[in-house]
Amino acid sequence: MMKVLVTVKEVAEVEEDFEIEGTGIADRYLEYDLNEWDDYAVEEAVQIAETGDDIEVVSVTIGPERCEETIRMALAKGVDRAIRVWDDALAETDLLDVAAKTRILRAVVEAEEPDLVFTGVQAGDDSFGATGVSLADAVGFEWAAVVNDLDVDAVLDESVARVHRELEGGVDEVTEVDLPAVLTIQTGINEPRYASLRGIRQAQRKEIAEKHLADLGLDAEAVETDVRLTEMYEPESESDATIFEGSAEETAAQLAQVLREKGVGAE
Amino acid sequence: MLDYVELEADLGEEERLIRDTARRFVDEKVRPDIAEHYIEGTFPTELIPEMGEMGFYAPNLDGYGLPGVSETAYGLLMQELEACDSGLRSMASVQGALVMYPIHAFGSDEQKEEWLPKLGAGEAVGCFGLTEPAHGSNPSGMETRAEKDGGEYVLHGSKTWITNSPIADVAVVWARDTSAEGRPVRGFLVETDRDGVTTNEIKEKLSLRASITGEIGLNDVRVPEENVLPGVEGMKGPLSCLTQARYGIAWGAVGAARDCFETARRYALDREQFGGPIARFQIQQEKLAEMATQITTAQLLAYRLAELKERGDLRPQHVSMAKRNNVRTARDQARVAREMLGGNGITADYSPMRHMANMETVYTYEGTHDIHSLILGQDLTGIAAFE
Repeated sequence: MMKVLVTVKEVAEVEEDFEIEGTGIADRYLEYDLNEWDDYAVEEAVQIAETGDDIEVVSVTIGPERCEETIRMALAKGVDRAIRVWDDALAETDLLDVAAKTRILRAVVEAEEPDLVFTGVQAGDDSFGATGVSLADAVGFEWAAVVNDLDVDAVLDESVARVHRELEGGVDEVTEVDLPAVLTIQTGINEPRYASLRGIRQAQRKEIAEKHLADLGLDAEAVETDVRLTEMYEPESESDATIFEGSAEETAAQLAQVLREKGVGAE
Repeated sequence: MLDYVELEADLGEEERLIRDTARRFVDEKVRPDIAEHYIEGTFPTELIPEMGEMGFYAPNLDGYGLPGVSETAYGLLMQELEACDSGLRSMASVQGALVMYPIHAFGSDEQKEEWLPKLGAGEAVGCFGLTEPAHGSNPSGMETRAEKDGGEYVLHGSKTWITNSPIADVAVVWARDTSAEGRPVRGFLVETDRDGVTTNEIKEKLSLRASITGEIGLNDVRVPEENVLPGVEGMKGPLSCLTQARYGIAWGAVGAARDCFETARRYALDREQFGGPIARFQIQQEKLAEMATQITTAQLLAYRLAELKERGDLRPQHVSMAKRNNVRTARDQARVAREMLGGNGITADYSPMRHMANMETVYTYEGTHDIHSLILGQDLTGIAAFE
């Protein structure tokens, strides 16, 4: 029996044109979907479950009821059951920093006792990118970040995560990490599947357990955050592009004048 | 996509997920290359098993590994497929509604066990042989014969306009059983590798080009009597299959029309003439308003059809009305969308003209527009104009 816990997050995707309201983007310009990196983490976990025997894949999300549809899509792709942590205290929080997420996920890890935890490398919306490693530290697991290849057989046969990590400059690092471990999963590690119609039907019968902070032995203090979101704005784009308009003759004359002013070319 | 009266807001979660997964699959796997397939006159055959894995073939049926989704979910799937291209929806319609449905409804246990899992997975391809060179709108005049000879039937005749016949492993062939009293129409499962079967491709179509079409030649083809569909006799066999497929067309046509609308709306907002987007002109706005209204009306009809089908009150005439109306809508609105795209609209870079040409086929196959008028006329007056 082996258990893989996958942390998944529903992220907001912003439309091309949008407006900022207060410290956020107006809701009408947002669409919600599974975080891209988490899709790869789910696929990796499901592939392990399909390769080995008696392996349970559990997903955990911190999020409101709205994200059940996104969770259900992960269940349709092969996750066995899901946990969704939500609470009035969470609903009242504007911003959940890495420390707060770590406290919550730590409680889930302690309750579930997984052998492996997969997180996406980062979240597509707030780009914190630290939750996985912070969680490993909190629960005392080994860890590897930005994993782009995992030897599934070694996980099953030797209880070791033999991973490739993508480093700067195209260098690939190969590391062995003993289980239990947290791996933050990079895009491209696999090819995430589409949920089939059969999977979607089966997912309707899978459990999404809602947990409040108290169910995890936590209280509102757990979501207190030292990080404040103070402002959100669109930076002015500084563009030096000049577009000449008119006929070829006119635009050529304008270009010649600019070149002359800049001191380019011979008189 | 256009959903003006928010019909999709009332969908169940399972239905929304099915819509979303189908849309994503089509966007990523099919749409990027579909115009090229259209130009080349080819179907992306490598997708046939992938569509099977997705559960796109007869997902509204139960058992034999089939998911048994709601009729609305099935309709939404057809809509997403045809929003890409009618050829893609035709693949799913033929495999699901015209081949798997009759095996599921009228087949023996052995036939179901042999064929439904393979067809559902896209490991085998099926086709449906009803139309003949001399018998289109009046299929009951068919000349294809099956004569009993010991434990076998000998089939003779020819079928045409058969989607997928050149790539099919099995054909559901409808023929008159000349050895039985009253020469009833019976369904036969004919493996295409049997002696005497030919499946020539019909090339140089100017419509539905991203779909493979052919003939089926049956030159004294011997099939064992176990290959007869035991559960049905007479024209209600093939006609009940067509009702299933037409239901999918009524939904699919809405998808094609919505794709045309969204393409035209986007284009009108981006395209600048006389110092601003052409969408600011009343003449373009009127086109969009009319298009949206027609599409919404068609969409309402499709949703109502799903309700009737789900509770078992759907009559073939209901489907005739929806197929007739929705395909006409898609055909007309595709042309309006093409107009709004100006010269760019005649290229393969944009979908409306491809949809427009496809709709000439869809307008004509599975009961022509005019034949559906006569079916409705008969239902409304009690007088059959075609008898």
